[in-house]
Amino acid sequence: MATYRTRSEAETIALGQRLARELPVGGVVLLIGNLGAGKTTLAKGIVSGLGAAAADEVSSPTFTLIHEYGEGRAYHVDLYRLDAPAELATLGLDELFDSGAPVLIEWGERFPALLPERRTEIRIRSDGADEREIQIEHLT
Amino acid sequence: MAGKPVRILAIESSCDETAAAVVEDGETVLSSVVASQLITHGKYGGVVPELASREHLRAIVPVVREALEAAHATLGSVDAIAVTVGPGLVGSLLVGLTYAKSLSFASGRPLIAVNHIEGHIHSVILETRRDATLVALPALALVVSGGHTHLFEVSENFAYRLLGKTRDDAAGEAFDKVAKLLGFGYPGGPIIDSLAPQGDASAVRFTFAKMKGNALDFSFSGLKTAVLRWVEAQPMEVEIAARRAFLRHHPQPSTEEWLALTPPHTLGLLASFQRAVITELLTRAAAAAGTFGARALIVAGGVACNSGLRAAAKSAHLPYPVYFPSPGLSTDNAAMIAAAAFPKLARGEFATLEIAAQANLTLA
Repeated sequence: MATYRTRSEAETIALGQRLARELPVGGVVLLIGNLGAGKTTLAKGIVSGLGAAAADEVSSPTFTLIHEYGEGRAYHVDLYRLDAPAELATLGLDELFDSGAPVLIEWGERFPALLPERRTEIRIRSDGADEREIQIEHLT
Repeated sequence: MAGKPVRILAIESSCDETAAAVVEDGETVLSSVVASQLITHGKYGGVVPELASREHLRAIVPVVREALEAAHATLGSVDAIAVTVGPGLVGSLLVGLTYAKSLSFASGRPLIAVNHIEGHIHSVILETRRDATLVALPALALVVSGGHTHLFEVSENFAYRLLGKTRDDAAGEAFDKVAKLLGFGYPGGPIIDSLAPQGDASAVRFTFAKMKGNALDFSFSGLKTAVLRWVEAQPMEVEIAARRAFLRHHPQPSTEEWLALTPPHTLGLLASFQRAVITELLTRAAAAAGTFGARALIVAGGVACNSGLRAAAKSAHLPYPVYFPSPGLSTDNAAMIAAAAFPKLARGEFATLEIAAQANLTLA
């Protein structure tokens, strides 16, 4: 398990860009953290690090649930508004998992049964100001 | 205008609502039926896609039938069938799109594909055509809802150029998340808007970080986080728990009921938050309008219902007229889809039956 610290939004994006190179190909990545922790910010870094879209193009998928970047080169999912596993049924997550592209998921830890066992979990903690502690764990 | 009036049947199912409408000449709404899933969703604090597509399936046939009957129209008497192809939830879009395709195939009427965001802009175009107060072009359009916060330049023949958009949360999403974290129901915008006038808008000072890159982009994530930090620093657990408990037994509380559960400091927070969102929207809109000499400002989308935003736009004394759709046309509806299809019909811009739903469809 690796732990990083960032002191600004720009540093969090830069860390995401670096992490993008280390992620398993076609992997599922959970972004875990409270409201305002910086999940979408880190996603900006990872998606841009993968070369799928510019950081500024990556926005919150809360309302739209799934954002696709670079014509299927990366997916960004947000399950914030969902409560029961049955509500995910028509979302087509399995198809994304099988697509071979990285799938970043916010608020996905609440649905462990629907996730592949082999995945990366990134926990983001905020100290209340600009500093963030970011922990990466690869599950197999 | 000479000749027979042109009638379009339109279908919209991109998110919450299943809607159908019949509109004549892009300006006369003969019928507009909206089956809202709000009550189903209220329980869940958000739009639930699995429920959404199931509800759309249940509603689509009766909603279209009702729209035709209310307009005294039949499938044979409409000139085209318009439908939203994106952006939205694929499962939800598919219900409307598949039904529209089958109606087009069965009736031989052409199919017109409409972008949902363009539909919002045309909610204003429709009403100004009807009232003969045509919007002068080029105009700036601010499309602001739960999923969108976009600034477009609208020029002749409805050509669009994207000038700015949110880099993180949409404005309506910020309303929903702030309402949820404070224990209010869904959707958050109308609740906050109804309570904000009771609070002191200068109670909490929110500042926006300067944007790097495109100065016309929005950011609402920092504001959401600032509200969260403020709430965490106050002893608010009891009142938040009280509101959540109330909501479990009263799914749609009235403004009076919410007021009884909301102390002055929370009302001040809501008023300050709402004012911060409105200032951010109007400041960037005015800056965007200035970049190309806009002759009008169009504000559309669900957040256009916000009474604070309407009042602020009116009192801003902008050097060009500001247009809002009437509330019934601000939130998702099919009349706006028919209105956006009208110029496409005139240009013969038809879709084939092979057209697919496009979840991430962009306008420009």
